[in-house]
Amino acid sequence: MTPEPALREALLAAVPSLRAFAISLSGQVDRADDLVQDTLLRALSNLHRFERGTNLNAWLFTILRNLFHSEYRKRRREVEDPEGSYASRLKVQPEQGARLDFEDFRSALAKLPPDQREALLLVGAQGFSYEEAANICGCAVGTIKSRVNRARFRLASLLNVDDVDDLGPDSMTRAALQGTG
Amino acid sequence: MTGEKGNKLARVIPEESLNEKLASEPQLDKTSQNRIGDQLRAMYDELMQQPVPDRFKDLLEKLEKSSGEKAK
Repeated sequence: MTPEPALREALLAAVPSLRAFAISLSGQVDRADDLVQDTLLRALSNLHRFERGTNLNAWLFTILRNLFHSEYRKRRREVEDPEGSYASRLKVQPEQGARLDFEDFRSALAKLPPDQREALLLVGAQGFSYEEAANICGCAVGTIKSRVNRARFRLASLLNVDDVDDLGPDSMTRAALQGTG
Repeated sequence: MTGEKGNKLARVIPEESLNEKLASEPQLDKTSQNRIGDQLRAMYDELMQQPVPDRFKDLLEKLEKSSGEKAK
């Protein structure tokens, strides 16, 4: 498959976004770069499936996202508690020369379930529409909206951004009362 | 072929989507939403601005060269 120069430029131009997404999704720079590389290779060998005129970025994100999930499922079978290990691995970051800031934010992001994390990244960071994100993730638009909403809510409480007070002592007392009553 | 199609159909409605009803979920106020959004984009922009590792340029160039040679 010969990538014509224009297409090669377009693929190269997509790399920063793909890396940012992969790093935020996986929490690891080297794993993210492997994901991006596999994405580019898969895109090149499937170029005939890409519909010219449609959104190349969305197509590439779909590939990357699917690669991430098949790898994630594989790992999950191999190692229990992938969530916990994700969070602890993240502390070993930053590496590879590039210092990564926003540590608090990144570790809060790491605590989200992967489906919520990816929905928030696609819509809130990468700027895809809910419809595009739903296509990328292969789910309903309502599901994406719900995941983004949950992700924001969870982040807000993890980061103490706000007045999520109705989830505070009151609701805990209520839960306790219900539990004992 | 048909088997693959069957699988895809089976996955059309993921189970969790049945439980994800937006209406029953708590909503963040606008200010907090904006703050989360700003932090998210700031973190993401920083990642976007990192230089592209050479391996990707090399990879695409190599592929272009090798397929060009094959065509000759």
